Amino acid sequence: MLVLSRRPEQSLVVGDEITITVLGIDGDRVRLGIDAPRRITVLRHEIYVQVKNANAAAAATQPPIRSISAALRDAGQTPAQAQIGAPNS
Amino acid sequence: MSARATLTASIDLAQLDRESIITFPHGLVGQPHWKHFVLLSDEDEQAVGVLQSIDDNQLSLMVTNPLLVLPGYRVELSADEQASLGLEQSQPPVVLTTVSIRDGLITTNLVGPLIINPRSRVALQVVLAESAYTTNHPIGWLSSEQDSK
Repeated sequence: MLVLSRRPEQSLVVGDEITITVLGIDGDRVRLGIDAPRRITVLRHEIYVQVKNANAAAAATQPPIRSISAALRDAGQTPAQAQIGAPNS
Repeated sequence: MSARATLTASIDLAQLDRESIITFPHGLVGQPHWKHFVLLSDEDEQAVGVLQSIDDNQLSLMVTNPLLVLPGYRVELSADEQASLGLEQSQPPVVLTTVSIRDGLITTNLVGPLIINPRSRVALQVVLAESAYTTNHPIGWLSSEQDSK
């Protein structure tokens, strides 16, 4: 990780299009101003991680079709599959 | 700063043609390669659908209409977000939220809704960073009972 020290009102430039300015420091809080093209999404890291994790969790969730099918089979209702139409038939 | 539009998720899954490709040009948040999906939904069941990736057949996302979860659910789109979706005033987008099930608890992500232009099928996951919504808003419990009577 690149580590730089900046004072209030000093800036960083990321690439050609993004400028990050230290606007002020108040105790343990740093206020940053970010100039970036609007197509670039700027998010607090925590929120980015939350949404990313929620996407991963959704992808890891299988629609409970299989468990319903299994439950039906366990209940001895296999013939009903013929009426529903098994996807691999 | 910029003109913002507030919209309610007023359109159900029936507004999207089944099995036509939905494209997220930038992917989803943290998942830039999740770009092309088809929406699979039961004709009689407008509450839940599945976004099935056409790039990776192992990838699917269960989705719902967030208005069924929270009737007052609102999404604010910036002018840029509207522009990147190609939305016109007369064309409200389709709003879906992803569904997860963990240990039987069914939740939906109200912070990162999926916004779809129903005409072009261009889509965008927006992040409602300043909202009071959560990424794991509870919907209910997956019933483990096979016979409710």
